[in-house]
Amino acid sequence: MITSVVTLFGRRLLAAVPILLVVSALLFCVLRVLPVDPAAMSLPPTATIAEVEAKRRDMGLDQPLPRQYLIWLRDALHGDFGSSIQFRRGAGSLVADTLPATIELAICAMVAATILGFGGGLLLFRVRGSVFEFITDMASILLLSIPEFLWGLILLFVFGVLLHVLPFTGRLAPGLSQPHITGFLLLDSLLAGRADIFISAWQHLILPAAALGLAFSPAIMRVLRSSLFEAYHEDYIEQARLRGLSEGRILLGHALKNAALPTLTLAGVQFGFLFSGTLLVEVIYSYPGMGNLMVDAVRNADLPLIQTVGLTYCIVVLLINTVVDSLYVLLNPKLRVR
Amino acid sequence: MPGAVSRSLRSPRVLVALGLILCIACCAAFAPLIAPHDPADQNLLSILLPPAWASGGDPAFPLGTDSLGRCVLSRLIYGARTAMTVAVFASLGAMLIGSFLALISGYFGGAIDWIIGRAVDVWMSFPPVILSLILMFGLGTGLDKVVLAIILVDWTRFCRVLRSEVMIVTRRDYVAAARLLGFTHRQTLIREVLPATVPLLITLVSLEMAIAVVVEAILSFVGLGVRSDQAAWGQMIADARQYVYQSPSNLLLPILAIFVAVAAFNLLGDGLRRTLDVRLAEIGR
Repeated sequence: MITSVVTLFGRRLLAAVPILLVVSALLFCVLRVLPVDPAAMSLPPTATIAEVEAKRRDMGLDQPLPRQYLIWLRDALHGDFGSSIQFRRGAGSLVADTLPATIELAICAMVAATILGFGGGLLLFRVRGSVFEFITDMASILLLSIPEFLWGLILLFVFGVLLHVLPFTGRLAPGLSQPHITGFLLLDSLLAGRADIFISAWQHLILPAAALGLAFSPAIMRVLRSSLFEAYHEDYIEQARLRGLSEGRILLGHALKNAALPTLTLAGVQFGFLFSGTLLVEVIYSYPGMGNLMVDAVRNADLPLIQTVGLTYCIVVLLINTVVDSLYVLLNPKLRVR
Repeated sequence: MPGAVSRSLRSPRVLVALGLILCIACCAAFAPLIAPHDPADQNLLSILLPPAWASGGDPAFPLGTDSLGRCVLSRLIYGARTAMTVAVFASLGAMLIGSFLALISGYFGGAIDWIIGRAVDVWMSFPPVILSLILMFGLGTGLDKVVLAIILVDWTRFCRVLRSEVMIVTRRDYVAAARLLGFTHRQTLIREVLPATVPLLITLVSLEMAIAVVVEAILSFVGLGVRSDQAAWGQMIADARQYVYQSPSNLLLPILAIFVAVAAFNLLGDGLRRTLDVRLAEIGR
């Protein structure tokens, strides 16, 4: 069983490599044809033309484009992604510093989306055929039409400004400093035994994670509802009813059990979108993750950083999709036999 | 088709949505007549005024002023103009490119289909937000650039959904009959295949308009959208975000505006989907 999981995942991962190569080449080309000169930008404005030319040669910018790409690829495979023009640091280490914060937010948001999605899906299914169906139907359309960007702002306004119960800027309250162990703040605060930091980190995570969770839960709700409808056509439901089980027991103990796995894997595709959605939520809440780094890089025309961060987003999204894909095959015996 | 139109116009969802969209469109079209001030007029003596009915409000600025003393109502109205322009042109542009590629891809199949299919795959492995940020960086700011960026990101949405529809339609008997009657490929595509996909196209365009409004707001919010002298809802949010405590209404109003526009386009799309009987299993986000 375990070996088949590993080979399956490995095969999917291999299939993702060509896509990744094409994506990185495209990203490289798009950023290189722009009328921006990274050599001139990485030197002080007082540099002479000869110095800029020397720097261009030094950076390999006088080579033909395919050659430049191969050089970049070779360096990237060795872990060298060039250095950020604006921060004067390796772009790779900047990403490594901010990635844990973004992953932490994404995981919390995925948990929130799953809880909200399952709760909402059960509710949608439970009210089928009743007077409430119309209301929940309209509500789910309305919810579906609110993207994470608006949820972020709405939650910020209601809970941050109006009710003033939760903080909405950054990752920690001012005055607290982050213990640097793994970069995952919730984990680090526990490892360091600092309850105050742990609580503050939670408070700062709730709004952004809820915003993403709310935006991505309707998809899970709808899939769960239709999976439940499907499950209710099966004979075991009627059998359970004949055995005298209560409707609640049938729904939670029998139908949900069978509808949950396809829902999670089908809705898993949403997690890829959710990860890239963290960018906007991070900007809204000034959350120091990869999203703010990306926006910063774009604003300052920091080419190596844009390239590295952009590629990291693509890699993570591809990775999430690969995992979800393999899980789907794994949990669905019909697809497993090759 | 006329039957479908009248059926759509009797649907409460479509009617409510069209009413809302008409209101926003009127604001956009007649902005210079409705707006009490020039949206770029700064009035540094009266910055961050509350709405006129609140204490300290000035009747000259019905919804108050922003951090540069610009009239919030006027900026909302002119912001509608920006949002609607982007919504209309970006969704039509994405539709044109996406459906053209989908038509030739689904109709001819074979190598063309393979190439277009792979292009869509690679394109979609870029997260849309990242792709649009990179494009805006390359194109520079401006209303036309925002439209172009959205077209370049979202043509895949049309291409993917429409392609499978075209493949189904192409296998129908009347398309084969048209070919037997001596129609050229172009005639068959335009007269027989394309009309069959119109309900799906209309539905997709109205949903795409909602997406375009949001993307425009996002790009303006991070300062990579329209030029800074142009009013946009996203810009208003970014400005108000810095002064939330002094003037919360400045944050709330543009959020409401975006919400109403997005909900209206989505409601329209949903109503059309139901009345035009469009199968739209999975369109992604």
